[in-house]
Amino acid sequence: MIKPKFYFQISTSSGVPIYRQIIDQVKTQIATGRLEDGVFMPSVRQVAEELAVNPMTVSKAYSLLEKEGVLEFVRGQGMMVRPSAISKKSLQKREDDIVPILKEVVTKAEQLSLEKEKVIKLFESLWKETKDG
Amino acid sequence: MDNSVIDIKSLRKNFREKEILRDLSLSVPKGSIYGLLGRNGEGKTTLIKCILGLLKPSSGQLAVLSDDPWRFSEATKENLGYVPQSDRLYPWLTVRQIIDYTASFYRRWNDRLIEKLIKEWEINLEDKVGLLSVGQAQKVSILLSLGHEPELLVFDEPVASLDPGARRQFLKTILEILSDRACTIFFSTHITSDLERIADRVAILKQGSIALSGELDTIKEEVKRLRIITQKPMAADLKLEGLINWEATAKEAIVSLRGFKPELKAYIEKNWQAKVEIEDLNLEEIFLELSR
Repeated sequence: MIKPKFYFQISTSSGVPIYRQIIDQVKTQIATGRLEDGVFMPSVRQVAEELAVNPMTVSKAYSLLEKEGVLEFVRGQGMMVRPSAISKKSLQKREDDIVPILKEVVTKAEQLSLEKEKVIKLFESLWKETKDG
Repeated sequence: MDNSVIDIKSLRKNFREKEILRDLSLSVPKGSIYGLLGRNGEGKTTLIKCILGLLKPSSGQLAVLSDDPWRFSEATKENLGYVPQSDRLYPWLTVRQIIDYTASFYRRWNDRLIEKLIKEWEINLEDKVGLLSVGQAQKVSILLSLGHEPELLVFDEPVASLDPGARRQFLKTILEILSDRACTIFFSTHITSDLERIADRVAILKQGSIALSGELDTIKEEVKRLRIITQKPMAADLKLEGLINWEATAKEAIVSLRGFKPELKAYIEKNWQAKVEIEDLNLEEIFLELSR
């Protein structure tokens, strides 16, 4: 059983109710492949204590996700991401998502007169750092 | 209702001529984390003292754990836990002594729970109470309110004197208490972000009565701010149900209202030939809209 790391981040300054924020984040992460099929979600208690939010809020989010067929309750093991619950975004779509951010990086690099090679080097070392955790 | 731990109808409390609470009604369901939100001076502490039987209501009906607070039975008192805004613990006692002293008032006292919490909260039993930091002293106060395993826990502004780190710790503590055993928590605060995290129900107190109460999620879904842009001049009187505030110029109105339903957008757009933008509000914004 793989326990995913904590991916949720909630904001109390947002007008969106917390259970909605959790639902949206689970769905996005499934769509982007960060939460993989068959992976078990952290327990309600774990999420509640980690985020310091009411457990009822977390279980409300989970049970709505279960109703929508995104998660599946497995006896004794908890909530599992249902295989192919949400159609994965195509590679094209995922690329489209990152292009605007990269464009910003290019512009910023120009403004700071940083050479392309230098930025790519920085990118590579950051990539490695993040991947190695 | 059988399911409510606190049930208040038309409560009024006067201090001589001054009316502090008026026509206040409130119902706290069993097992909820209920947050009472209000500015300083709106009557939060007065309400809490009425609930605990420390003040006698001028009129109205009040039931706490199905008992009358002014004539609480011994049994009811044993099911109540209270942490006041600032607890004056005896400064010359050690933590161990004050726990033993408090325990001696109760027939039921869960030593194992207290031991567990002392370990988890890193409290030193031999420390003098008077020398504890604000955060540590508050933990001790909470500890003393938990030993007899109350069904209802009441906190008056529990986080007001804590720094952000200690506040977060306190929220976690509340969640731990609840995950260990079922009880109801009622607490007052003016810090909306804390309520937003852990409360499942809230009531907003304004000038001595409840301006809005209910499930937090529902409140956030149903209280919205709308920006209405029209081509035609705006009607002089906006007749919308649940209107809280509105401001209008010639072609634009900013309206806050409760009881919002998605259909309302289409309705306004059709009937007023307008464009409607919907803005989500967080609890603080809702609170501010209501106290304008």
